[in-house]
Amino acid sequence: MTGPLVLLEGVGKRFGARVLFDIERLRIDEGRSYVITGPNGSGKTTLLRMLAGLEGAERGRFVFRGSPVGFAPHFPERLRRSIAYVHQHPYLFHTSLRHNMEYGLRCRGVAPEERRARAEEAIAWSGLRARRAVPPQDLSGGEKQRAALARVRALRPDLILLDEPTSNLDREGREQTLALLAQLRDERRTVIVACHDQEVIALEGVARLHLEGGRIR
Amino acid sequence: MTISRIAASWLAALAAVFSLGAAAVGLDIKMATTTSTDNSGLLHYLLPKYEAKCHCKVRYTAVGTGNAIKLGENGDVDMIMVHARAAEDKFVAEGHGVNRRDLMYNDFVIVGPHSDPAHIRGMKDLQAALKKLKSSNATFVSRGDDSGTNKKELGLWKEAGVDPNGPNYLSIGQGMGQTLTVTSEKQGYTLTDRATYATYKDKTGLEIMVEGSKNLLNPYGVIAVNPKKYPGVNYTGAMHFIDWLTSHEGQQVIASYQPKGAQLFFPDYRKK
Amino acid sequence: MNLLEPTRRAFELLLQGDPRLLEAIWLSLWTSIVAIALVAPPSVALGFLLAKRKFPGQRTLVVLVQALLSFPTVVIGLLIYLLLSRRGPLGFMELLFTPSAIISGYMMIALPILVVFTISAVQGADPRVYETARCLGAGRTRASATTLWEVRFGVLAAVVNGFGRVVSEVGCAIMVGGNIEGLTRNIPTAIALETSKGDFPQGIALGMVLMAVALGVNIALALLQGRGGLR
Repeated sequence: MTGPLVLLEGVGKRFGARVLFDIERLRIDEGRSYVITGPNGSGKTTLLRMLAGLEGAERGRFVFRGSPVGFAPHFPERLRRSIAYVHQHPYLFHTSLRHNMEYGLRCRGVAPEERRARAEEAIAWSGLRARRAVPPQDLSGGEKQRAALARVRALRPDLILLDEPTSNLDREGREQTLALLAQLRDERRTVIVACHDQEVIALEGVARLHLEGGRIR
Repeated sequence: MTISRIAASWLAALAAVFSLGAAAVGLDIKMATTTSTDNSGLLHYLLPKYEAKCHCKVRYTAVGTGNAIKLGENGDVDMIMVHARAAEDKFVAEGHGVNRRDLMYNDFVIVGPHSDPAHIRGMKDLQAALKKLKSSNATFVSRGDDSGTNKKELGLWKEAGVDPNGPNYLSIGQGMGQTLTVTSEKQGYTLTDRATYATYKDKTGLEIMVEGSKNLLNPYGVIAVNPKKYPGVNYTGAMHFIDWLTSHEGQQVIASYQPKGAQLFFPDYRKK
Repeated sequence: MNLLEPTRRAFELLLQGDPRLLEAIWLSLWTSIVAIALVAPPSVALGFLLAKRKFPGQRTLVVLVQALLSFPTVVIGLLIYLLLSRRGPLGFMELLFTPSAIISGYMMIALPILVVFTISAVQGADPRVYETARCLGAGRTRASATTLWEVRFGVLAAVVNGFGRVVSEVGCAIMVGGNIEGLTRNIPTAIALETSKGDFPQGIALGMVLMAVALGVNIALALLQGRGGLR
């Protein structure tokens, strides 16, 4: 196998005087799923947002596929096509489900016929075919999470970052989301899930990372 | 890329709107005139007859004489039709306008409420009537807008040797029609041209108190804006209109405007 | 004074389609629509920038625009008059006393309203909108456009408010338009004139049209917002 997909070295981030984290080394390999656990406020969300170019860092090295990358606000535009981040409470545009699925494809200049086909496939994958006529903002929390997962999966990014995808969901929503996470794993997508849901952590074939006291263990 | 494209089409739309605006009045004759010619209905009667002949449009803005002269001085109109002889002569002398012609006259009257609290009804001596108005503390409403009527009114007070200012002298800065309306609401007196008064007589219930004095004549003149000063003005159009107004036909039309059976304006053009 | 008789006459004028009445109504509508259509894109863009981007002098600019909200329209009228008068710097364009002059006045009056409403709409937008768009691969421009689209009802409210302000505006329109019959006499200036002439039926008829327009536009906005699922 070639080198790692992502390599972080000596990455420091602080809020005022408080050191949020100080990561000596973090290596993400292509085709694997990772779960990051850690207490509330340990910086899991910030770490994901940093990798997605939404948040900066004071110092450190960020290497993607062997080439160094700047942290936000110097995050390269082309990497936004490779790395997709999903909020803990995902935002669906107040348009239509299909438009949401097509949005990123449109940004990538995918031709209309292919765009439509891939959006339909994404809706099918999310299991929301029967709910496609509902305004996206009126979907339930679990449905929104599934739609958001399908929306980034349709873009076939190199790295998917998921922030607490099962939190605040009811039993049914959690199970369905869990099933989709397992599928992503089986499809050998590279996924990092920040989470403290035991069922997610217990997923088989998933590498486990722990962030506490600013350090990865 | 897209942003500059959007910006470019926006600028094009802006330019289109503004060039359309200029084209819309390209061949029209723009005239500044007094509120009295408009409020009395004369222009509504007269302009269609001319426009049918010239296949053009006369666009007029009706303001006080002072304001109308200002518009002419700035070259914002092609001609003016006003009534303030001294100011008109100054306008020509300063090179703003050319070819001043007498057009017509009507006369001023002093109107007041039916109750006539100052007891001036039917007085023949204008100056005595003004003095009595002042001494009786009756309400007097003044245009106060530097119009021809306003200038006339101030001149009359001066000739009578009376300072009109006081709590009962209301200077309202509005057109003739509005002034008559206010006068009626206040049950006061005012100086008005007979033409405007005629159209407001029923609406206001005001009655004529003093009329017929030689000092109350109200002559109107027309002046084209000097094309040497403002090459952009429609001088040809303005002179064509002025020629028509002072022709036998135009003068006949003015004389024939007789709403409710009474002639309001008396044609006055004599070739010099 | 008898109010019933002029009101009855007003309905008659409206039903008969009195040409002078229709001219004023038509002028009011098209100049307002053109002015808003022209001024909306730059104002919305400016409002978005002021809400989203931090740059030196930004706060000063926001305060300035907010102050412009309460700027008297007659002062804007005076300003444009001085600019467009043949003696003024733009006199060569011969725009004074044309509908274009009114449109330029309307644009200046509507600009601060549109900007301020857009600022508050964009500031009210969910911060996740912009981030989501960026994470899905949108560039800055597309992500900004998406944010505006997500708050489209707020932006629409800005446009409707701007329209409502200019369509009923009288001071500026009378100064730079000259209240010329058939060319620049619109609904509000005609009402002012007809009232000064004591011709109340015309004024009442035009007033009813103006209120109907205002009501209609706001009802349309409310319906749209209802369909957009906004509470």
